Amino acid sequence: MKKLFVLMITILSLSAVLVACNGKDKDSSDKGKEDGNSSSGKAEKQEIVMNAGSEPPAIDPALATDTTSGWVLDHIFEGLYTRDKNGSAVPGLAEKTEISEDGKKYIFTIRDGAKWSDGSPLTANDFEFAWKHVLNPDTGSSFAFYLYYLVGAEEYNKGNAKAEDVGVKALDEKTLEVTLNEPLGYFETLLTMWTFYPVKEELVAGNENWSAEAKTYVSNGPFKMTAWEHDSEVVIEKNNEYYDKDSVNLDKITFKMVGEATTYYQMYKTGELDFIKSLPTDVIESEKDKDDFEIVPYYGTYMYMFNVEKEPFTNEKVRKAFGMSIDREVLTENVTLAGETPAYGMVPVGADSPEGDFRAVGGDYFEENLDKAKKLLAEGMAEEGWTTLPEVTLLYNTDENHKKIAEAVQEMFKKNIGVDIKLANQEWKTYLETTKAHNFQMARMGWIGLFVDPVVNLDYYLGDSPNNRTGWVNEDFDRLMAESKVEQDTAKRYELLHQAEEVLMTDFPMMPIYFYTNTYLMNKNIKDAAKFVNRFPFMKWAEVTEK
Amino acid sequence: MYILKRFFTMILTIWVIATLTFVMMKFIPGDPFASDADVLPEEVLNNMRAKYNLDKPIAVQYVLYIKDLVSLDLGPSIQSRTRSVNDIILSGFPPSALLGAQALVLALVFGLLLGIIAALYHNRFIDYLAMIIAIIGISIPSFILAPLLIKFFSVEWGLFPVATWGTWKHTVLPSLALASMPLAVVARFMRSSMIEVMNANYIKTADAKGLSTAGIVIKHGIRNAILPVVSFIGPLFASLITGTFVIEKIFAIPGIGRYFVDSIFNRDYPVIMGTTIFFSVILVVTLFLIDISYRLIDPRISLTSKEG
Repeated sequence: MKKLFVLMITILSLSAVLVACNGKDKDSSDKGKEDGNSSSGKAEKQEIVMNAGSEPPAIDPALATDTTSGWVLDHIFEGLYTRDKNGSAVPGLAEKTEISEDGKKYIFTIRDGAKWSDGSPLTANDFEFAWKHVLNPDTGSSFAFYLYYLVGAEEYNKGNAKAEDVGVKALDEKTLEVTLNEPLGYFETLLTMWTFYPVKEELVAGNENWSAEAKTYVSNGPFKMTAWEHDSEVVIEKNNEYYDKDSVNLDKITFKMVGEATTYYQMYKTGELDFIKSLPTDVIESEKDKDDFEIVPYYGTYMYMFNVEKEPFTNEKVRKAFGMSIDREVLTENVTLAGETPAYGMVPVGADSPEGDFRAVGGDYFEENLDKAKKLLAEGMAEEGWTTLPEVTLLYNTDENHKKIAEAVQEMFKKNIGVDIKLANQEWKTYLETTKAHNFQMARMGWIGLFVDPVVNLDYYLGDSPNNRTGWVNEDFDRLMAESKVEQDTAKRYELLHQAEEVLMTDFPMMPIYFYTNTYLMNKNIKDAAKFVNRFPFMKWAEVTEK
Repeated sequence: MYILKRFFTMILTIWVIATLTFVMMKFIPGDPFASDADVLPEEVLNNMRAKYNLDKPIAVQYVLYIKDLVSLDLGPSIQSRTRSVNDIILSGFPPSALLGAQALVLALVFGLLLGIIAALYHNRFIDYLAMIIAIIGISIPSFILAPLLIKFFSVEWGLFPVATWGTWKHTVLPSLALASMPLAVVARFMRSSMIEVMNANYIKTADAKGLSTAGIVIKHGIRNAILPVVSFIGPLFASLITGTFVIEKIFAIPGIGRYFVDSIFNRDYPVIMGTTIFFSVILVVTLFLIDISYRLIDPRISLTSKEG
């Protein structure tokens, strides 16, 4: 999941790009879409061109760790579970699912008519092989840990057990038995992830680089890959072997790899592209009222971590004083310009819970209050016996946008609580080493959940999480998180997660800044593109209408 | 004999470059798996390090690398998990080379022409005009020129596609953007060299003998004035045909230019080595060919002896 950091960098460097949007803008763009939908009939040519932005590093279920590869994968593969138009997990290749009473054993029946794009039958064996392939230490999959919920998976991945010990077994061609260590509340959602897609055994076992070229590529989703010109484009076409092919309208989707924001924006304007994301900052002002423009939430948090082992952030009150003394609204509206949501908690907007959006239910954990901040700072300093605050350096990875934000925050600290901080920056990979070694006082980090569940965000600060660079360890937090994972009752599970977030925000080992967003431009003649939180538009049901 | 000696010098040069790059590369902090490092279990990480020989002592890694290099195997890319460095260079080089070659031809033809004309009309209006063009060419960076070209030729007038790769039309704008800087440099080089030559005594003699102006300019002027430009063409050619980061990014060209830069940020060691060595081979071979071409242009320079 850490690869997402890299992704984030990309997103951030593009996020200069986005403009403040308020509720009004969103309403108008939504309305525009409805108008577009009701207008006209199906066009003759069902082909669209979208910008992927860069060469997908690995269009391979076992190796992909980034959303660009994932975007293509989601179109050409389908797992036991898939998503409906609203983004909820629904059975895909699994026709029937039986769950044992203790919630640990799943028996999946593969649907009739499940086939590979080369016409050969897709069997339960392909799933067993695919999952064990992900876990095989020689594969070196960075996402293997997503399968650790299976019995024996972690041990096999770490070289301490054999493949046979893993809790996935094809009982016959149609039946797959999966055994989990503990019951898992969101297993079905997890199954929609590309790491759980099947791969064709004969193909993968015989050719390590099967996924590098279109000509050796076999998949099982709504589309199949027909061309991959590296660094240029990936072409996918409708897969006629797909069991639900009647729902698929598009004949062809081309993913272009144009990295420069100004260039792909111009290509959209000249009609060479039908869909672009992450618009250049300077055009958002002029685009934001148009019908084809949209700002979508992106399930991630931009934050400044405190090193609780280094002064002055050893003191909780000092940490809170810092967190309370910046104006996030001013920051998002004037500096980041992307319509981001100011963040007063760890879990971003977008995760559904039975009582509504998790963030809305949890509410804000602190407020921006300068008087309170000054008071806390003074108290904190008194507790530690400091007459002056130890000098603070804010570290960020080299990037224009991080710099802008850091400078604005520096100014706010100075003006609002009279604290003069220094700024320093390091190139990304060096930065990762420095922060991993806890060699900082205050440092920028972003975290985007690959699937939408509060667990993904909160796990970041587990005591033994390698991501947790703050030195903050709280047993209550770790315990609540562990309990939430085995809790079968959904309401109780979310209650535990809320409690965990409260513990985190009470100790305040980091100050959240904002929740990410993305900007889209999509040709108005494309209808029924499914926009799930945290994924780029999914085109299974999309069609091109007459203009 | 000379050629044989040059050949061994070339091999030595490439070996020195490869070794220096290898050592310097290992001094950069950070490792290629850094963003994965804390999610991957140590056991899996060790497997991956072993796959790329990164678990061995640096000296051993070096020997293994040189061994593969001798058999022309540049190893696997760490970033693109399924592709080898050979693949990346083989598929990325043709577009880069095509653009580079087109740009070079443009730069030479128009650069030389501009320089010669400017020199012949030294200190007159045409000279100033040519040099203004040249100064503009040198001072406008390609990341400004490229979007300008796109804005007018594609968006406003619809003559060429904005970007990406496919037909000859896709190559026009990037070639122009790529050519502007070397064109200006060639023009300035040629102008100053030509002015110097045209003031030389032998030109005056030729003029006094009553030779035609065209004959003097072509036979005596250009042939002598072009030598400094030729020595500049070598490195120019090598850098143009191996692609440029900026132009390839702006026009979304599937070339290798980006890998020179991205590989370093990604700590993709095999790609850093591969692209550096590839570039040095091209450069060294070009310089070698330039040396030989001197001989053809200027008979005073001999390939066999050291005099002259």
